[in-house]
Amino acid sequence: MALDPTSPPEVICTGLAKTFDGGLDAVSPTTLRFAAGQTTALVGPSGCGKSTILRMIAGLETPSAGSISIGGAPPAETLQKADLAVAFQDPSLLPWRSVRGNIELALGLARRPIVPEEVDQLIRMVGLDGFAETRPAELSGGMRQRAAIARALATQPKLLLLDEPFGAVDELTRQQLAQDLPRLWEARGTTTLLVTHSVQEAVMLSDRILVLSPRPAAVVADISVDLPRPRDPELARDAAFTTLVDDVFSALSHGMAQSHPPLVAQ
Amino acid sequence: MTALQATLSAPGSQARRSLPAILGLVGVFLIWELAARAFEDAFVLAGPSDVLAYLMANQALMGRALMVTLSNAAIGFVLGNLAAVLLALIALLWPRSESVVTGLALFVFCLPLVATGPILRVFFGPGEWPQILLAALAVYYTTLIPLLVGLRAAPATWFDLVRSYGRGRFAALFHVRMMASLPYFVAGLQIAAPAAFLGAMVGEFTGAERGMGVLTIRAMRALDVDMTWALASVATAVAILVYLVIGWLARLVLSDAPPVILAAPRASVSGRAAVWKSTVNIALTVGVVLGVWWGALAVLDVSPFFAKGPADVFDALFLAPDAATTRATLGSALIDTSVLLLPGYFAGLLAGAGLAMLVVLVPALTGIAMTLSIALRSVPIVTTAPLVVLLAGRGAVGTIVLVAVMVFFPTFVACLHGLRQAPGQVMDVLHSYAAGPILQLIRVRIPAMLPAFFAAARMSVPASVLAVTVVEWLATGNGIGSLMAVSASLSDYDMLWSSVVLVSLLSSLGYAAVGAIESRVLRIYAPEQLA
Ligand SMILES: Nc1ncnc2c1ncn2[C@@H]1O[C@H](COP(=O)(O)OP(=O)(O)O)[C@@H](O)[C@H]1O
Ligand SMILES: [Mg+2]
Repeated sequence: MALDPTSPPEVICTGLAKTFDGGLDAVSPTTLRFAAGQTTALVGPSGCGKSTILRMIAGLETPSAGSISIGGAPPAETLQKADLAVAFQDPSLLPWRSVRGNIELALGLARRPIVPEEVDQLIRMVGLDGFAETRPAELSGGMRQRAAIARALATQPKLLLLDEPFGAVDELTRQQLAQDLPRLWEARGTTTLLVTHSVQEAVMLSDRILVLSPRPAAVVADISVDLPRPRDPELARDAAFTTLVDDVFSALSHGMAQSHPPLVAQ
Repeated sequence: MTALQATLSAPGSQARRSLPAILGLVGVFLIWELAARAFEDAFVLAGPSDVLAYLMANQALMGRALMVTLSNAAIGFVLGNLAAVLLALIALLWPRSESVVTGLALFVFCLPLVATGPILRVFFGPGEWPQILLAALAVYYTTLIPLLVGLRAAPATWFDLVRSYGRGRFAALFHVRMMASLPYFVAGLQIAAPAAFLGAMVGEFTGAERGMGVLTIRAMRALDVDMTWALASVATAVAILVYLVIGWLARLVLSDAPPVILAAPRASVSGRAAVWKSTVNIALTVGVVLGVWWGALAVLDVSPFFAKGPADVFDALFLAPDAATTRATLGSALIDTSVLLLPGYFAGLLAGAGLAMLVVLVPALTGIAMTLSIALRSVPIVTTAPLVVLLAGRGAVGTIVLVAVMVFFPTFVACLHGLRQAPGQVMDVLHSYAAGPILQLIRVRIPAMLPAFFAAARMSVPASVLAVTVVEWLATGNGIGSLMAVSASLSDYDMLWSSVVLVSLLSSLGYAAVGAIESRVLRIYAPEQLA
């Protein structure tokens, strides 16, 4: 099965594991499947290995065991075509380039044409209107993260990897982004992998949530989010929404309890 | 950001901030003039007015000499920096070569200009090439080291970004490393500019026909006080000007001010594998040095009478009938030199760090300190050697003072930068406990200063050797500097080459020794620097 150039890829990780050089087990053998064109959230306690999984899929880290297939091909092939994009946990904007410059760099690296109107539109969408020519040092943490999101979207990737992209974004902007982003990647047909430790965010944005145990990461729950789209902030008061949030929370604490037995007998 | 950088980089408050600098400068000129008036009868000091009068009267002569030296220095500057960029790229694209590249570069940087000058003179004759090459030799190392640091000074995630779009090393070099290293490169160039001028002048000391160096020798021989001071003043002014112009150009291109700390320490060696690896590296470096030396002689095809190869030097030192005498002569010259070099070196370090601390404790001194830093960081100290000799005499004191001065300047600037870098949050915590300035200095600022202090101490080793050998050669007639000069004029090339090898070797060892102490101290106080 070859990577279809027009449709988003399915991502399959089989027996994926990572042990770092120092002997630290970050990911225990895990099989994960991310459906084509859907948004899957990876939720887990901090330090459990979420970023490591994402980096292995992005081809930035070599798995110690197991294999990864992106639409039937290994990550290296997707990388070659610049068909994936990552919004890193740390925005990692180049300080000597403006917001626009950073986005244009990504387009250049991915060998995509630079269409100024499209870049402007992206900048507007992440709410950085008027900051296109500003250097990162003069932006707030949240604004930098939004610039990094715009950069990741710029190359129109088939596979979008977002590593806690809203950590420093303020609540109002976050709600706005939570509405706009899914619309965009639905329209484009993107397979999205969203790493987050915010349960609400995961429920709001994704079609499916994989709950991970503390390190070494393993899947403890696989929860479908069958909420209608488009979702607006009002949805957070809906019973279906709160039930899902509760489910994820109990899966999370169940995972915690399994690896860390309570100190005090109950 | 240091006050120095602030003056250089804050355009909005330029006028307000440069006021103390201008006042300081006026003060320096005033004191200088008054001192010259006060000691008029001693015939050692010429004031600014005397210098100006001399320059007016000898405009044409000075102008011609300046043009010659400037053009030699400029060509050497370009060549030396090209070499630095090339070496840095080799080390970067072929990481295994780095320790050999830097080891070789250090050894060549430690070659005593006093001896390489005459040797190059023999190779190239009376033309301009010895001056140009000496200028190049004086600059490439001070550019190479910060460049190597800068090329690595990018966080790993920037490279992840490049890789995530399927691009490789060259894209990373082009889009990330080159841009990230620019501030370091510029800082290197700023230091290099006056050094190139110094190299060209030392080259002219060794029997050139034209240039500022030639005039300096003439002035010293004639004990012409006005001329000596005029030459030193012009050299200093040119150096400061070039330094400022490069800084100004840099601000046009860069978003950040150039960093002051120029050399990152090497990771500390521990464990058997690491020791083995560094032994192999040293052996490789020595091998490459010998190979280059031998190869260069073979290629240049010069008379074996003055071109001595590795075997000849070994022969002269160990096998020849007079080997014992040669060794004894070298040994006593080295001892004579060390007796002056070591006190000067340590005095310079102490004075530099001490004054920097004083400035931090007494902020009122900042204005003067700022002027000093801008001026002194760019002065080619050795060109003022004749002044020190005039002022402090030809004896031991003059030599020690000159070495100390040579070490003092970079140490002072680096330490001031380090002291001011003390992390703001830690300082806030101390403030909240109402800790006094002395306690703050001891607990936070001095540890924050150590990396800069040691970087300066390390880079000062070859610089102090250069200073001591130049004074011995030009003025005192003692020690290894004089031995090299005398050997050159007597055509005792065995002795000359042996001295070069020995001095370079000892300088490199001194540099490595400071580096070893540095990594021990930093492991305790600044472990992040060793990452
Ligand atoms: N390059 C590395 N070398 C060694 N350990 C690492 C490395 N990267 C991450 N780790 C460790 O692996 C574990 C999982 O890290 P990470 O995937 O970043 O967690 P998360 O993103 O879930 O917070 C952590 O304990 C972290 O310290
Ligand atoms: Mg993470």
